[in-house]
Amino acid sequence: MITQYAGIAPNRDLLLLKQLGKKLRGRSFLHVNSTREGGGVAEILQRMIPLIQSLDIDARWEVIQGDARFYDTTKKVHNALQGNPEAITEKMWKHYLEVNRANAQKLDLGADAVLIHDPQPAPLVSFRKRGKWFWRCHIDMSNPYPDVFKQIEAHCKKYLAAIFSVARFTRAISTTEYIIAPSIDPLSEKNRELSEHEIREVAERLGIPGDRPILLQVSRFDRFKDPIGVINAYKIVKKYNDCILVLAGSPATDDPEGAEVLEEVRSYAADDPDIHILLLPPFSDRDVNALQRMATVVLQKSVKEGFGLTVSEAMWKGKPFIGGAVGGIPLQVAHGVTGFLVHSVDGAAFRIRQYLNNPEMARRMGEAGREYVRNSFLITRQARDYLSLWFAETHRQKGPVHELF
Amino acid sequence: MAQRARKKPDKSFIFRDVVTVVKTTGLKASTLDELREGIAAVSEESIFHHTYQYFAKGHVQEYTNDFAQWAAESLEERALAEYLANIDSFSFKSTDALRKELLRVVDDYREKFPAPRPVLPGAEFYFSEAVSFVFAAGVRAKNLAEFLTAIKFIDASSIYYHYYEARVRLRKEQDDFSKWIAEVVKNQELADCVRSIDPFMHNLEGVRTHLAEMLEDGLRKEMEIIE
Repeated sequence: MITQYAGIAPNRDLLLLKQLGKKLRGRSFLHVNSTREGGGVAEILQRMIPLIQSLDIDARWEVIQGDARFYDTTKKVHNALQGNPEAITEKMWKHYLEVNRANAQKLDLGADAVLIHDPQPAPLVSFRKRGKWFWRCHIDMSNPYPDVFKQIEAHCKKYLAAIFSVARFTRAISTTEYIIAPSIDPLSEKNRELSEHEIREVAERLGIPGDRPILLQVSRFDRFKDPIGVINAYKIVKKYNDCILVLAGSPATDDPEGAEVLEEVRSYAADDPDIHILLLPPFSDRDVNALQRMATVVLQKSVKEGFGLTVSEAMWKGKPFIGGAVGGIPLQVAHGVTGFLVHSVDGAAFRIRQYLNNPEMARRMGEAGREYVRNSFLITRQARDYLSLWFAETHRQKGPVHELF
Repeated sequence: MAQRARKKPDKSFIFRDVVTVVKTTGLKASTLDELREGIAAVSEESIFHHTYQYFAKGHVQEYTNDFAQWAAESLEERALAEYLANIDSFSFKSTDALRKELLRVVDDYREKFPAPRPVLPGAEFYFSEAVSFVFAAGVRAKNLAEFLTAIKFIDASSIYYHYYEARVRLRKEQDDFSKWIAEVVKNQELADCVRSIDPFMHNLEGVRTHLAEMLEDGLRKEMEIIE
């Protein structure tokens, strides 16, 4: 499978994966999270497990099971770790631990390396029998609600190390903390190359005209993604450049506000025929891919963001990109080189106009963005980092340099 | 008794690659004073990461180390950024000596200028370290022509390892490339040319381009017959 990435991912990543594969051959690597499908973690694991298996490492993926009460609690934990004040009662914490205990008895947790994703299965570490255990935190934990953080920290510090996506998402826990950015898979349905015919088919089906520049934002209908701000930016641009705006997103089952925001956005767009609001069914990966490829400029004008992998997805398609300077977006966008970072509606409008009026600059920045993603945010780099970390923690040595030749 | 022929040592240039996994130190700074405290307190590995390893990123940013970049972008103290960017990190005999120079520049600035405001939330400086993995790139060059071909296609991280990091490893203001050209190819003039590329003024692709031009020129001179 690794050979499929030759010529796409950087050679150094493939070489190191092969060399680490030789060193870790026959060992077992278990990932545990709380959902088999839906969400970025599941999306990446679906692709990463076979990739690591192809190196003759026994990679497995287990999913914990819980009831509605459990998920209600973990949703609150998730929100609280991102700063929302949430009331979690003693009873709820007890149930959270009981569900984890029941999963620990049911699941095969024996492996040489175990990567536990996010807070839902964090207490499993108390049932560790062997191997190196790592906790992978995908959320911004820089400013958590203190009561909830204290409860979760008690589990996290039992791990050999914690892994965060961005340095600014970390919170001091008394264990080693690593930074490993998430990634996209260039061969997945959402990112693979599409033919002109495939792109045209999607455009026709979704009713997107191809006669004018297309501005695109792909994201959930969520106020933090600022869809109204995007419409306002488009309205400013429209005074100078004829263009159309596409706002595309899927409904999130865990977000009751989604429908309300969508209604707000529809009503704000009113009867402007050049604003296309698309509610895509879940797993519309090929449609998202085609929309990104047909776009002239892609935006992610968030006012609050996690890592924001839609940024790398758009940049991978070589598109001129504009993002809000929040969350993980600045890590993916070197301002003025691989895209623009903005802080306001006016900033977004100004940068859109710059791109539309300077196609050569737009092309150059789009290409730089694609190269940056190729070097930094592909799945081969993330797999390489996980194996490197496992290897480093297994072969602890003096000094920070591991010579593998 | 016939003497067994002694195997000649392999003097090929063996290309290596390096990748890093970043570790946090738990220290962060939101003011210039906190940056100073951090520089004084962090490990040598952290100073190394924010200065020498800065070039491994591909050098897409404006300044020449993370401290200067943060001073300009987050602290908005452009003059401080200029002073920090002008520090020649490769001229120091140790990472600790480089740390002292960074502190001297910051202290000097604090004496001359009013204290800057704290950075906006989310723009703090996070002191990090890195664990490095050095491995064979699977490419070797037996002569200058093969070396030139390799330079054109090896990964940029290999150029970082041999051209930037080597200067710290060898501590002789020398890099792996010019050392091999001088000692194995025995072309001191070309070695001096290669060594003269200013590592602060180019990104890795820029260094690659200059190297290829110099090697091509050196090879052409070797091939020319002047009667």
